[in-house]
Amino acid sequence: MAGSVGTRPAVAARAQLEVADWVAAVDAATQLLVEAGAATPQYAMRCVQNLREHGPYVVIAPGLALAHSRPEDGALALALSAVTLATPVAFGHPTNDPVAVVLAFASPDRNAHIGLIAALARRLAVGLGDQLRTATSDDDAVALLQEVIDDVGSPVR
Amino acid sequence: MSGRKGVDEELEVVTVCGVGMGTSLIMRMTAEEVLKELGLRAHVQAMDVSSARGMHADMVIGQAMHTEEFQGRFPAVVTVENFIDKAEMRDKILAGLEAAGWQAA
Repeated sequence: MAGSVGTRPAVAARAQLEVADWVAAVDAATQLLVEAGAATPQYAMRCVQNLREHGPYVVIAPGLALAHSRPEDGALALALSAVTLATPVAFGHPTNDPVAVVLAFASPDRNAHIGLIAALARRLAVGLGDQLRTATSDDDAVALLQEVIDDVGSPVR
Repeated sequence: MSGRKGVDEELEVVTVCGVGMGTSLIMRMTAEEVLKELGLRAHVQAMDVSSARGMHADMVIGQAMHTEEFQGRFPAVVTVENFIDKAEMRDKILAGLEAAGWQAA
């Protein structure tokens, strides 16, 4: 089964996109999950709806958003994607706007992503956001996400 | 004398977000590291806001848009803006502990 233990999570990234607004930015990040076979188009739609319903809470740090939804919304496999924006866009967040990097993930159940998110948190704490922001090619951005995946096996604590 | 939270008794902490999958989990990771560095014993759970409404915890951590409703309902309400910034998390957890009448170790 995709996303089961032992399967390396998929990654995908696009660097320096021009988007009209936050909806387009989230769509671009989640569409990468769909193209990777890790999420359904409905999952991508739910990621935008979550922001409309709950507010821009996915803007987790200045300039950085982490789009996601629930497994039952159409997540098929564990995957991580990122888009970086040539021109940052506002998400309506009181303190962390504008957003230049939109990460997205899909997790097939409520636990499969914990190691991945722990690794992501570790990498973000040492500058991954800035590294992504300044990545000039898709390949460079993908390589940065691969470093997160490489770190997944590290102890959580 | 009753046990001191985080020292004699484990501090029960919930981190909250809209879905309970990603944002709150990032917060949990950061909060766990900070609490450990502070030498406090804590049990941190990540969840969505509606699940947290049914919880009895010592501390809730989240963005302002989610923590406002917990003011007065949880002893310590900690509002953070940057979920990956350990310095901000540390300062605000310490302030939350103090406001609740629990001094940090």
